[in-house]
Amino acid sequence: MAALGSAKAALQVTEVLETILSRCVGPEGRQVLCTKPTGEVLISRSGGCLLEALHLEHPIARMVVACVSSHLRKTGDGAKTFIIFLCHLLRGLHTVIDKEQDSLISKNIQTHRRHWKNCCQWKFISQALLTFQTQILDYIMDHYLSKHFLTIFSSSTEERTLCRSSLELLLEAYFCGRVGRNNHYFISQLMCNYFFKCMACESGFEEVFDLVDDYFVELNVGVTGLPVSDSRIIAGLVLHRDFSVYCPADGDIRIVIVTETIQPLFSASASEFILNSEAQFQTSQFWIMERTKAIVKHLQSQNVKLLLSSVKQPDLVTYYAGLNGISVVECLSPEEVSLIQRVMGLSPFILPQASSQYEICNTALVKFCKPLILRSKRYVHLGLISTCSFIPHCIVLCGPVQGLVEQHEGALHGAFKMLRQLFKDLDLSYMIQTSDQNHTSSPLTYKDSRESNPLPEIVNGLIQRPYQGTVVKNKGNLAKTQTYLKLYSNLVVPSVELETCIPCSTPKVTPTDTYQTNETLRCLAPTKTRTIDDNEPFIESNSANSTAENTEIEISSENLQVTKIAGKGNMLPVREKSLEMCTSQSYCCSTLPAGCVLPVGGNFEILLHYYLLNYTRKCQQSEESVVSMIIANALLGIPQVLYKSKKGKYSFPQIYIRTLRALQTSQPIVSSQTGLESVAGKYQLLTSVLQCLTKILTIDLVINIRRQPREMYDQDSDEEV
Amino acid sequence: MSRLEAKKPSLCKSEPLTSEKVRATLCVLKGILTSSYGPSGRLKQVHSGLGGCVCTTSQSSALLSNLPVTHPILKILTTSTKNHVSCFSDCGLFTAILCCNLIENVQRTGLTPTTVIKLNQHLLRLCTHYLKSESCGCRIPVDFSSPQTLLCLVRSVVTSKPACMLTREETDHISALVLKAFLLTIPENTKDRLILGKSIIVPLKGHRVLDSTVLPGILIEVSEVQLMKILPIKKSDAFKVALFCSSLSGDLSDTGEGTVVVSSGVCLENAVLEQLLNLGRQLVSDHVDLVMCQKVIHPSLKQFLSMHRVIAIDRVGVALMEPLSKVTGTQPIGSLGSISPSSYGSVKDLCPAKFGFKHFLHLIPNEATICSLLLSNRSDTAWDELKLTCQTALHVLQLTIKEPCVLLGGGCTETHLAAYIRHKTCNEPESILRDNGCTQTELQLLTEAFCRALESVAGSLEHDGGEVLTDMKYGHCWSSQAESPSVVNWPDLLSRCGCGLCNSQEELRWSFLKTTQHPIAPQTCLPHEAIGSSNNLTLDCFTAKLSGLQVAVETANLILDLSYVIEDKN
Repeated sequence: MAALGSAKAALQVTEVLETILSRCVGPEGRQVLCTKPTGEVLISRSGGCLLEALHLEHPIARMVVACVSSHLRKTGDGAKTFIIFLCHLLRGLHTVIDKEQDSLISKNIQTHRRHWKNCCQWKFISQALLTFQTQILDYIMDHYLSKHFLTIFSSSTEERTLCRSSLELLLEAYFCGRVGRNNHYFISQLMCNYFFKCMACESGFEEVFDLVDDYFVELNVGVTGLPVSDSRIIAGLVLHRDFSVYCPADGDIRIVIVTETIQPLFSASASEFILNSEAQFQTSQFWIMERTKAIVKHLQSQNVKLLLSSVKQPDLVTYYAGLNGISVVECLSPEEVSLIQRVMGLSPFILPQASSQYEICNTALVKFCKPLILRSKRYVHLGLISTCSFIPHCIVLCGPVQGLVEQHEGALHGAFKMLRQLFKDLDLSYMIQTSDQNHTSSPLTYKDSRESNPLPEIVNGLIQRPYQGTVVKNKGNLAKTQTYLKLYSNLVVPSVELETCIPCSTPKVTPTDTYQTNETLRCLAPTKTRTIDDNEPFIESNSANSTAENTEIEISSENLQVTKIAGKGNMLPVREKSLEMCTSQSYCCSTLPAGCVLPVGGNFEILLHYYLLNYTRKCQQSEESVVSMIIANALLGIPQVLYKSKKGKYSFPQIYIRTLRALQTSQPIVSSQTGLESVAGKYQLLTSVLQCLTKILTIDLVINIRRQPREMYDQDSDEEV
Repeated sequence: MSRLEAKKPSLCKSEPLTSEKVRATLCVLKGILTSSYGPSGRLKQVHSGLGGCVCTTSQSSALLSNLPVTHPILKILTTSTKNHVSCFSDCGLFTAILCCNLIENVQRTGLTPTTVIKLNQHLLRLCTHYLKSESCGCRIPVDFSSPQTLLCLVRSVVTSKPACMLTREETDHISALVLKAFLLTIPENTKDRLILGKSIIVPLKGHRVLDSTVLPGILIEVSEVQLMKILPIKKSDAFKVALFCSSLSGDLSDTGEGTVVVSSGVCLENAVLEQLLNLGRQLVSDHVDLVMCQKVIHPSLKQFLSMHRVIAIDRVGVALMEPLSKVTGTQPIGSLGSISPSSYGSVKDLCPAKFGFKHFLHLIPNEATICSLLLSNRSDTAWDELKLTCQTALHVLQLTIKEPCVLLGGGCTETHLAAYIRHKTCNEPESILRDNGCTQTELQLLTEAFCRALESVAGSLEHDGGEVLTDMKYGHCWSSQAESPSVVNWPDLLSRCGCGLCNSQEELRWSFLKTTQHPIAPQTCLPHEAIGSSNNLTLDCFTAKLSGLQVAVETANLILDLSYVIEDKN
């Protein structure tokens, strides 16, 4: 069965999703209860969770959900806004297309043909959307919006210090949309306290975010049956298990981590142990016992008081440990072990091979180690001494039901993701068109945001190579070196392409297999060359060079030397040529500094709406202006939902008019709500939605099959069946 | 390849609380819970048509864990109650009934969820502040120098579980036993931290309740034959004890991931047995009198030990290991080789005991915080109920040690609290209105709903058709006999209030709980000195009730906030 994939179907689907999700948006949003087939009950306000729980059947809906979840993985926020914005975009597109159709297409064309025609139209629009996303959006962000941005840091100087009150505002606004309204203030305060307690120094906050985000599960404990207000922060690390042996000890406690059983076993894996006599059995058992005893004794002599083990230790080990006053915690998860390793810089203790030689094992100190009882369940509580800028603390999250605890856990984790995103610089790059209009769709256009660095760069490399290739081709002999070097510097080039460069003949390298080539390449050029090489044309034509870029230029000049050594020597003219090609357009790279925020309540949307409208007025190309118009109008959908329940002075039209007036007269905008939101998150959301929309528009036919679509590699598996 | 089946789409319902079906089921649940509440509550018989045991109970933990609940909203309610009970053991029904009442009352007001939740939260904060404050009129500090308050507390717990089927005399006996068992778990000399011991409940079914008793130390059940072998126990002033946690059955433990090849003619059993007997020899030479093992002891080793007049008891089980090692001061031994002398422990005396038809070996410690509570009751179901009740009472006592105060029972705390909230919102509404951005009317409506919910919990203590009243001075709860004449002299009809603190002979005015209440400023009833002496009070555990109140309001808020229910139909 096949169904025509049209924007109409997509609109219907997203409209349904919008009605569900719009009730959970913003501070007035309400909760949704989800049941699992296992009978568990989940309480949620997070859009991602709800979309997953709905188990949607419609193919387009499933695609939308996939897009949302990939967006969430990156940013941890904005699922509901995603759907609302997408819905408004589709609605806007529809009205525009309907108008055009009425005027363009005569009635008697067959419906099927019309569909194909529609598809062509959708395709043009999707291309226009892509151009918008890659070119216009960044331009507007940088030129117009950036002057409105506020920062989360307390001073704008080089020293970045976090401002507690702004962080509180940011978190409060975030939790407003994620947890029940009676708890959002409490949870945001809890998170704020947690963060400031964990931070060892002002400059190390990025590491704190990274660590907490990575090990979030290990750093919190859920307790059901207690009121939410009993949630608290505990200094140190709480392991989700009890002691196997507990020997109370005072003062600093020396610990070791082991990843294997201390007691030697009869036979290791893939080996055979042959027993020839009873005496042999008894002696080997005796040996095992003596050796275990010796190792534990050794640990005791090193003053070790706590043994953390990632595996279950035999009874014998725990017995001897108890005798020697060593507490034992067994069955630590790999994540817990790696967290302890990262925080304390402690590596696992390796058992000495020969029984006689005992060297200094890897030990570390903890401040305390004691049992912790939460709701009649026992945990191990360790006072780790941190060697990095993260001081370990745990959050004990209480709630009457498991579902609520999970909701709060999810919201906290999302908040850390959001902050992690916020404190990274966002690179904007776009092209300012000068007189020459022909270059608008030049493949050189590139957009790059630093979060998603690896991927776009590879893509850039691929786009750029054919272009340079064509330039160089005219140069005959030189061209070969150029392409060759290009491939050289590109470490991710598949081997097929490497083979094509063999005829280019350089005496030094005759690659036989990929690995070797890569190695030789590394000898020739520093590993970083790939990125640098790709960026070169832009950098040199760039008018405003930041310091970071300067260093890149230095490296690139090194690279030049390398090319000289490797190749025929006259590379420079080629590069200059390619630069001349580029001069008609000027590229701008600028950075949104980390920590950019805007007041909540649709400020970002209204601002962008205003500047997009301004832009369309100046814009000559019809397609671009139509797309910008649609996006500008769709943006308003989000504040509309947010202010739905407000009346009078705070209703949406009033606020909209007030903001526009303020913008026109360039007065400061007064926001009715306190609270901040991350600009980077909003920007990410916008690009994700636009990408999703282009994906939807480029599909023309949905084909329904019985089986799962097959992976490419198992094509010949069960043909007979 | 496994068959992949497409997941069925979920069912999404909006505004679940407005549906008639949900309201009806909530009402049924509330009916079940309220009718079981309190000392005169009706019993529920839970059974399955397929057979199996029948559970007769009026306790929330037994009731809710057996009740099949399908609707997700009810599931939230029951799970939050169950979670509360597993934390505090007590006040489960209070929590669940209050939550039901709140949902019902708030829905009747027709306010928007936003306002309701904000105001509920605010009123809850008022309640918790008041209950924790010094001026609280329904809280009594516990005087540990006299047992009266604690005994009243235990008795209140025991009487509130009518399914135990106890007479007045039996209630007093059980209450005294529970208190005694609890006192035995308190260590005599503590350093900085108080670590309580444990009371082990030993079943003794089918006997008179008055046969129940409490003993210090541990009772280990042994068969009569086994006991005959052990007897007579030689007399000494202390018995040396060894406690094994590893198996002594001669099985070969973990041999690693590789293979072990045994040549023909080599008998590992003999080798292992030889090792076990060596261990036995060591035990004998160390003059051990009692050997206990969590797992199985090899018969040959047992034989060997008994030949040398060492008592051997195996299959102790993991549950008893910790109390045993505490009582005897041993360290559980995990080695078959050499045993360090420091891991042996001792008991003061070792004697056989017989209770009913069961034979026990009684380990009497020198000084330990472990005791055994032998409970007996006539029938199995009544015994189960009694056991739960005693566990609850012990837990409540533990909680009271941590937070040394109790609340008035018998519905007095609820009515007093309701009166306080009414008074507070009536006289100082400004701060509440300012904080929450709502109107005076909204506040009044919701306060009424909140207070009514509290009062109807107190009202559900009455099951015999009597009237429930509250006085206008202290805000306590009073209930009258059923079928009282229409015009009455209240002081004659009502003798004491629910908690037993107030006397009707005082100059008091009463009003029916059902009628509109006028805000009064409730007063503290009596000076605290007088309370310690009175021995017939009904008291509630402070920690459990406070947390129950919070959990009930939070759960109600959560349920009222639901705008959709998404049911996964897979």
